[in-house]
Amino acid sequence: MLEGIFSGVGTALSPINLMMVTVGCFVGTFIGMLPGLGPISAIALMIPITYGFDPATGLILMAGVYYGAIFGGSTSSILINAPGVAGTVATAFDGYPMARSGQAGKALAIAAYSSFSGGTIAAIFLLVAAPSLATVSLAFQSTDYFALMVLGLTAVAAFAGKGNIVKALMMTVLGLMISTVGTDQTQGVQRFTLGMIDLTDGISFLLLAMATFALSEALMQVLKPKSDADRKREMEAQQNLGSMKLTSEDKREMVPVIGRSSVLGFIIGVLPGAGATIASFLAYGMEQRVAGPIKGKLFGQGSVRGLSAPETANNAACSGSFVPLLTLGIPGSGTTAIMLGALISYGIQPGPRLFVDNPGVFWSVIISMYIGNVVLLILNLPLIPYIARILAIPGTVLIPMILFFSLIGVYFVSFNAFDIQLMVIFAVAAVGLRLLDFPMAPMLLGFILGGMMEENLRRALIINNDSWSFLWERPLTFSILIIAVAILVVPMLVPYISRLLKRRQEAAGEGG
Amino acid sequence: MLTNDRIGGVLLLVFSVAYGFLTFEIPLLPFQAQAAFTARTMPEALSVLGIVLSLVMIIKPSSDARPDVAGFLWGRGAIICLVMVIYGLTVRPGGFLISTSLFLMAGILILGERRWWLVLLASIPVVVFFWVLMTQLLGVFIEPWPVFLRGQ
Repeated sequence: MLEGIFSGVGTALSPINLMMVTVGCFVGTFIGMLPGLGPISAIALMIPITYGFDPATGLILMAGVYYGAIFGGSTSSILINAPGVAGTVATAFDGYPMARSGQAGKALAIAAYSSFSGGTIAAIFLLVAAPSLATVSLAFQSTDYFALMVLGLTAVAAFAGKGNIVKALMMTVLGLMISTVGTDQTQGVQRFTLGMIDLTDGISFLLLAMATFALSEALMQVLKPKSDADRKREMEAQQNLGSMKLTSEDKREMVPVIGRSSVLGFIIGVLPGAGATIASFLAYGMEQRVAGPIKGKLFGQGSVRGLSAPETANNAACSGSFVPLLTLGIPGSGTTAIMLGALISYGIQPGPRLFVDNPGVFWSVIISMYIGNVVLLILNLPLIPYIARILAIPGTVLIPMILFFSLIGVYFVSFNAFDIQLMVIFAVAAVGLRLLDFPMAPMLLGFILGGMMEENLRRALIINNDSWSFLWERPLTFSILIIAVAILVVPMLVPYISRLLKRRQEAAGEGG
Repeated sequence: MLTNDRIGGVLLLVFSVAYGFLTFEIPLLPFQAQAAFTARTMPEALSVLGIVLSLVMIIKPSSDARPDVAGFLWGRGAIICLVMVIYGLTVRPGGFLISTSLFLMAGILILGERRWWLVLLASIPVVVFFWVLMTQLLGVFIEPWPVFLRGQ
């Protein structure tokens, strides 16, 4: 293992990779700062550029973009109360009031230090957790993988659905349906190609990701442009940042918050589907309770703790979400799903074998995450006043640019103009679904896992002589499936159970 | 009442039913008819799931929220989509430099920008820079010129 770590450090610290992680952090911060464009869009936009790279270099660039985009999202949350990504919504609760009171610089510094600390602590956890899980998961069979994928999909649907599991499940199924378009892998027959040659190879994940995230977000902004008042507010915010220095009292308040939120964020990040958004909200809620009644009241009005907690947790969760991706090959979030797609396009199959077959890639990604945090702290933070000027670029120019980069990013991979038409169709459909409050991340995850899920199920049936009994006869598979069912059923039962308990309490009260 | 869930449910029900019908067109070899898993298995399961879930959304919507589309510039959105489609049709015959510059110019103008220096600055130099970056630095060949200007 030590050999692998050293090899990873060597790869991550090579000049080209150091340059890539730096560029990735910068580009990610720029893109993440644009309202609506999050890590998924940022990574999707970078994939075509990384195709010619060595896999480790490409992944390192994307890890940098990932962290940069989260940091950029925090910046726009703090400065203009417009979170670029859902994971930084909680950041705006206290970051924006702080910025409104003339302490934008301090708020950005708290966010950067908290992100750095959360990322650092989580990177250490990752260093320990990933290899252990990878070793355990070597014993997994196709049946277990199938069950794990079902678990991943149901968990994402349960968490990303914001309380509406049915909608999220429907989107997962839609993603799985889209994944079946093209030539069937084993039997070689065409499915849902409607006789079109352009569809025989199926739909590329990059096309779907770009169309449903970057392109549809740009289209939403075309449909509903910002008001003049919003634009004026953005200009003012990026001009008056104030001092970035923290007092010793601020630091004292932050330390325990960072410790608690890192652990919570990492654990939530490892769970499939939960990710940065839930981690940041949970950390915020936890700190509000821990702070006590007096300090707890300051939450929402520019509290240092209230800003530090979600920022630490969302970065820790980002690192945590790499654990299932690198060790099981199963992404736990939309962002890691797109990274999985990128890995596959490099010819690397993530999963337990990655740790054994490509230790260089495995470790260099983990090490570069840490380097990404350092880059964000020492380079991006001082440059924020300049980077924030991107908010001053008029939307009339920025939106066509996003459209261009999205379309051309996909076209440069296939050089097939049909892909551009297909993207427009998907983007229009995505806009419609967004307007109807359907979450997009479960669809992307369903699409990416669809092929693998079908393949593992087919293999499991072959191994078990065409019998479905493996679903309940193999203890590991059965346990994972039970957890998946519980994730779906328990939230639906909770209101009934609490109502029942309340009624019993009332009855007992009356009786007594 | 037409809630978000019901509208989405109806649209996805139509999609799932159409998907379900198309699964019957997936060809199967005679010996595969009795197999436990064929190329049709997963699509069949998915279409059933899709139909059930969309029916649940229609029958028991989770909220009364309705689409909030007040103030949406639908015409502008449709024109932008049309421009993207035209760009897709012209990028190959028209060459990268001209078609992309025109696409960006059209997009910027449609979104209401009227400062010509900004329109030109944000289109032509950006496209040329991007072309140089891709062809010279990353080694990806992109045909720059339209068909009638190409040598052969």
